[in-house]
Amino acid sequence: MSDAVFTVAFYVFSAVTVLAALGVVLKKNLVHSALLLILAFVGVAGIYVLLQADFIAAVQILVYAGAVAILVAFGVMLTKRGDIRESNLANRQKWPALFVVAGVFAVIYALLGQTNWGPLAAAGPEDSVGILATLMLTDFVVPFETAAILLTVAMLGAIVIAKEVKNSK
Amino acid sequence: MNIDYSLLTIEMLTAGLALGLLVLSLVVPGDQRKGFGYLTAAGLAIIFAISFAFNGVNKEIIGGMYLIDDFGNFFKQLALVAGVLVALASIPYVEKLESYRGEYYSLLVFATLGMVVMVGAGDLISLYLGLELMTITFFVLTAFKRGDSKSAEAGIKYVLLGAMSSAILLYGLSMLYGVAKTTVISELVSTIQAGQISPALILGLMFLVGGFGFKISAVPFHMWSPDVYEGAPTPVTSYLAVGSKAAAFAAFVRIFMGGMPQIQEIWIALFAGLSALSMIIGNLIAIPQTNIKRMLAFSGVAQAGYILTGMVAGTNAGIKGLAFYLMIYVFATIGAFTVAIGFSNATGSDEIKDMAGLSQRNPLMAAVMLVCLLSMAGIPPLAGFAGKLFLFSAIVAQGKLWLALVGLIMSMVSVYYYLSVAKSMYMGEAADPSPIEIPGSLKLVLIVSMVVTIFLGIYPAPLTGLAEAAASVFALK
Amino acid sequence: MLQQYAGIGAMLIIAIVFPIIVIAISSIVRPKKAAKYKYETYECGLETQGETWVQFKTNYFMYALVFVAFDVETVFLYPWAVKFMSLGTFAFIEMFIFIAILVIGFWYAWKEGALEWN
Repeated sequence: MSDAVFTVAFYVFSAVTVLAALGVVLKKNLVHSALLLILAFVGVAGIYVLLQADFIAAVQILVYAGAVAILVAFGVMLTKRGDIRESNLANRQKWPALFVVAGVFAVIYALLGQTNWGPLAAAGPEDSVGILATLMLTDFVVPFETAAILLTVAMLGAIVIAKEVKNSK
Repeated sequence: MNIDYSLLTIEMLTAGLALGLLVLSLVVPGDQRKGFGYLTAAGLAIIFAISFAFNGVNKEIIGGMYLIDDFGNFFKQLALVAGVLVALASIPYVEKLESYRGEYYSLLVFATLGMVVMVGAGDLISLYLGLELMTITFFVLTAFKRGDSKSAEAGIKYVLLGAMSSAILLYGLSMLYGVAKTTVISELVSTIQAGQISPALILGLMFLVGGFGFKISAVPFHMWSPDVYEGAPTPVTSYLAVGSKAAAFAAFVRIFMGGMPQIQEIWIALFAGLSALSMIIGNLIAIPQTNIKRMLAFSGVAQAGYILTGMVAGTNAGIKGLAFYLMIYVFATIGAFTVAIGFSNATGSDEIKDMAGLSQRNPLMAAVMLVCLLSMAGIPPLAGFAGKLFLFSAIVAQGKLWLALVGLIMSMVSVYYYLSVAKSMYMGEAADPSPIEIPGSLKLVLIVSMVVTIFLGIYPAPLTGLAEAAASVFALK
Repeated sequence: MLQQYAGIGAMLIIAIVFPIIVIAISSIVRPKKAAKYKYETYECGLETQGETWVQFKTNYFMYALVFVAFDVETVFLYPWAVKFMSLGTFAFIEMFIFIAILVIGFWYAWKEGALEWN
């Protein structure tokens, strides 16, 4: 693929991600925010593809756009509120927040831009899934099993907390 | 693939205990779940005893991905002993719960497992997963008080801020990885050269300090701690205060002292600032507090400042002081919080003014509170004095006299608010002079914390030996 | 590797452009007669009663939760399945432990009634 196409694709995905993320924050209807969040996740997945991390891109779509966004949408619909059209309101901190965020962004941009990241690999591995599998099940065995426990704890904890809501109703 | 699995005994036993408790709470009918607290405490105590077999074992697994060494073992023992005490202190609280008794203890052990993995991790990914296991468990435990709006508020605040701090930490880790091109901490030493420090590395370090600084509640990342400490069930608060803090300090030492001693001057400046700010602001804001849990939260911020001086020293002596202080901090903090548990269990109040006349109502509770608070203030001959002595002498040896002076002055300030609690307990008139009865498990925790705090103050050598062994893992000055 | 994605890129562009063209054409050729009834909600010929946004049952959330946990498990399972033959028994045991831990979580969810509809 030529560099030009790559560059165009990169800016398209970046624009989609940033604009969708802005929409998540600025939209007044929380359901719209949740849907835009999915779009932001998809944009990030596109960037992963451009970085030749195809497995991570698939995970991004499967887990984030597929499952996490659903969870957010359910979370929105579970909560009792008056008018859904006015459910994601900004407070008076909007402009100070913008100011702070812009400052942080400027600092990060300046510092990361000046960094010499060293030579980059010419191309990603052909078989990224296979390499991931081997790494995950050999070198990273401790974090791998910890991840299983983490998932179980997350499920257990969420049930303990969410069931509580039901009982107190 | 040859891994010596016997090295992972403590991790596997802790995971087995947590999962076993979960299965047990599924199998045992709800109304018969009485002995879970004692079972948890006994299980953790057995693992604690087994962990002494690993003293002096220094091995790496899978090329430094996971480390079994004296430093990790010291902090594993800390997490386990704190787990035992907290499990015992939880018993009266959990008995009041209508359901989820087994789950509470299971989560408590999962949090312990998170700390154990975190302090043993030799690479950034294991470390992060251990951290998340610990943090997510604490999110749930913080919001465990059912139908209590303060607990729910504390839970949601902790989730939001904790997620934010995790994101910042991950961002920092990603920059560190980008610069060093490795996640193994021991390889950072060779991949990060002192001569060529890139701007991204400095940014990464700042984010790292911010992310872990949140966990140790150092100023300016301490905002969450008073609200979360106040809202969470008190036994959870005490574990959050000691366990989460100790594990994050261990991570600090692993990454900075173990991975980046060559660029010491950069991070020492960061830590010195954090330390001074935490000592000053924590102690000053603790003075006007009227709620014992909030007071202890701000005192915890100040304590984080004292312990950070161990990082500022950047030497083996500093690590020794840090490890020693964290261990005695476990007993002093859990002792003080357990008094608060017993008191609020009997009276329903966490206010300092309601503690007036406690010495007549329950002399043991008043005595333990006094000993623990004075130890935190650093009054000889209690253990806190020895801890501060080690820490401050380590920084003075590095020529950081000003920081030691700040520490000394702020310790004197802290005596004021610690003693005002004592004054209320011993001089105050109780509105209701009826004696307070506390359950046997709480009595046990109180007596253990008091005895250890006094004993280690008079004769610190056993713990000093362990702390020295832990520090000797790092090849510093 | 990226060339393989050219097809997906082309699909993406068609998927975005095609509906735009269709809607544009239909808006050009369709008759534009505004009428009051055209703007009402059509649902089997009945007017909606009360709020259309109601609070959902927590059961939905429970399902979604368990779904997310097992969705993430799939992510771990897939690479293992791809490399299953070459990784051998050791990886098999690891995966067995991994799934066993999650099965305990699933058992918990089941027993606690997270999967019941009531």
